[in-house]
Amino acid sequence: MPIAGVNVTYDPNTLVNDGKPIELDWWAWTNVEQFQAIADAYSEIHPNVVINVVNQPWEDYWTKLPLELQSGGGPALFNVHNSQHENLIANMEPYDIDPADLEADYAGAASHLIDGETHYIDLGLMSGAIYYNTDMWEAAGLTDADIPTTWDEFREVAKALTIRDGDQLRQAGFNFNSGGHTMQAGLAYQLGQNLFEADGSTPAIDNEANLEVIQRFVDIYADGSGDPDFGAAGTDSFGQGLSAMTYAWGWFSGTLKNDYPDLNWSAFQTPVPEAGETPYALDRYNGESTFGINANASDAEKEVAQDFLRYFLTDAESMKELSLIFSVFPAYKPIADDPVFAENPALAAFGEIDRYIWPGPIPATFETTTATMWEEILFNGVAPEEALAAAQATIEKDLSGKDFVSSEGLYAFYSGN
Amino acid sequence: MTIQTSTRSAHRGETAPVTQATRRIKKPASELWLRNITVGVIMASLVLLLLIPIGIAFVGSFHDWNPLNGRFDFTGIDNYAALFADPTFWRASSNTLVFGILAIAGRVLLGLAIAYALFSKLSRWRTFFRTIFYLPTVMPLVAVAFLWTLMYNPQFGAINTLFGLDVNWLFDQRFSLLAIVVMTIWKDFGFAVILFLAGLYAIPEDVLEAASVDGASAWRTFWHIILPLLRPMLFFIIITSMIGYLQAFVQVLVMTNGGPGTSTQLISFMIYDQAFVKYNFGYASAIAFILLIITALLTAASWRMNQSALDTPRRRRFTHRSKEKTS
Repeated sequence: MPIAGVNVTYDPNTLVNDGKPIELDWWAWTNVEQFQAIADAYSEIHPNVVINVVNQPWEDYWTKLPLELQSGGGPALFNVHNSQHENLIANMEPYDIDPADLEADYAGAASHLIDGETHYIDLGLMSGAIYYNTDMWEAAGLTDADIPTTWDEFREVAKALTIRDGDQLRQAGFNFNSGGHTMQAGLAYQLGQNLFEADGSTPAIDNEANLEVIQRFVDIYADGSGDPDFGAAGTDSFGQGLSAMTYAWGWFSGTLKNDYPDLNWSAFQTPVPEAGETPYALDRYNGESTFGINANASDAEKEVAQDFLRYFLTDAESMKELSLIFSVFPAYKPIADDPVFAENPALAAFGEIDRYIWPGPIPATFETTTATMWEEILFNGVAPEEALAAAQATIEKDLSGKDFVSSEGLYAFYSGN
Repeated sequence: MTIQTSTRSAHRGETAPVTQATRRIKKPASELWLRNITVGVIMASLVLLLLIPIGIAFVGSFHDWNPLNGRFDFTGIDNYAALFADPTFWRASSNTLVFGILAIAGRVLLGLAIAYALFSKLSRWRTFFRTIFYLPTVMPLVAVAFLWTLMYNPQFGAINTLFGLDVNWLFDQRFSLLAIVVMTIWKDFGFAVILFLAGLYAIPEDVLEAASVDGASAWRTFWHIILPLLRPMLFFIIITSMIGYLQAFVQVLVMTNGGPGTSTQLISFMIYDQAFVKYNFGYASAIAFILLIITALLTAASWRMNQSALDTPRRRRFTHRSKEKTS
């Protein structure tokens, strides 16, 4: 059988576990069938190995898995979500693959290095885009040429897509309700503002860049192109055909396909402040992670797990399938130019892949606190300056005593605040 | 030596000498075993599932604690100090107080009114209405909360459509907490109806007939006879509601997630948020302990009020009889 892979390679012509029977468990919270198919394909090459993919619901996964790992048990393989990094990393076995090879084949692999070792990487990258209703777009007399590239152009398009009946908003041009915090963290990067100070651990929320981002979207609502009371969530309102545009991450394309199959939509790249200028970064990204290996597993299990890992990382077809299922841009560089990704509007809306920043597995307080901040601004009449100061204080309090260090410094174009 | 005591036979009214030996009724060994095992299992469960976890949480409240990654660093009273300086905690506390008072008042008043209406001899189809009113109680809270979230939707919700309003119930801080309270009362009043009905049916009929013969109006009968006799049930409902509503959490999680801002954050929601979203189990334990103390104090105060309310008529009767004897 041929050797697979480019820099990371897999030779299927060698025995694992000396050909002796062995069984491994692999925990997953979703897409169990796809992962089982990959495991079964591996078992066809190595009939002595059985890998059972075990479904563990998301609700229990992040308490059950860390506690199992801490007690010295748990599955040999387990899917990882990087938001749970802090609770898992102590019990994860490093990948037995040269980090340079991983970086050569997988975008963003270097940002996962810890003391020169890799414990998981991204199999795909997810970020934000503007989703738009193509029927409403046409009805407003807009064409592809009107797709905005700057925020000023976007503001005008939002006005054109808005329909009012007297004082009543009938169709929002743009709706970001319940999603302000998702935009916030990424779009300040466009203005050269990192989420953390140069030390990598001091949060940087209360600043001019974040104020500008907030003001931009508050102004769009002030134009009348949207309204905080028009639908609880912008994404839901978009799906229900009440809003013409919304900002969402790649997962939303899956939601639209499953929950709103009759809706005609497309997506375009998130606008930038200045036409023709590449900003510091386009947006924040987060990765759909590869699996982890249990550091407490037996030596035989670890050996098989490392072999299976190489098989997994060099299986281009599976990587392609998983990327499409998760609606993520593939991190595996050999398949990045596959035309199938250009056919998916959400993935085609990705800009230059190197211009997205992963800030690291940032603690949940960033998301929850900025979500609260946006509600204070939109619904409770709190001034943006005041809301930003309160958010900064809350996040600082929540992070005090924690040893989190941001990965922003690993961004190729990094420049400290 | 035989110690002689006397006791009165309930049936004959006789006084009979009884020895200590005869007072100790011999129980079969199997019954003793059953008793010991039953009590032992209950005690062990209480210790294992209640006292030990409470003890661990209490110790944890003095630590920077995340059981999911094994962090357990002693921080002294830092968590408590941070808690009392946290504006969100004070907001959650005042929200919990408002929520509790409104929800208890609504549940009791609505429950009592409907129970009294069903108790009336004029009412028909009592069993049918009792079932209808009790139905929300048996529905899962999560499902009810989702349902009401849809009903409160400002664009297509039933409430705005029905009343011709244009209110964003769950995202307007003037209404959001009230909207959750209304949903909670709707969910819970049926249980109060059943309990009040049980209390009403336990009132001796001759008391009500005597009031009727004496020409007492319906209002006087309710105020001076029924309500005082319902007092133990009333306090039971208030105390159990108070304990339940101080821990209210699910409806907030589903309907508002504590928002807009922190305007519907309750203490229990804050505990969940700190423990299971931010993994600050030490801080969450400190909040939980404050909540435990508040709940215990309020419950004790309610019991005392109930006891003194029950004791007052007894004292009055005793004083009245003493005066009669001395005169």
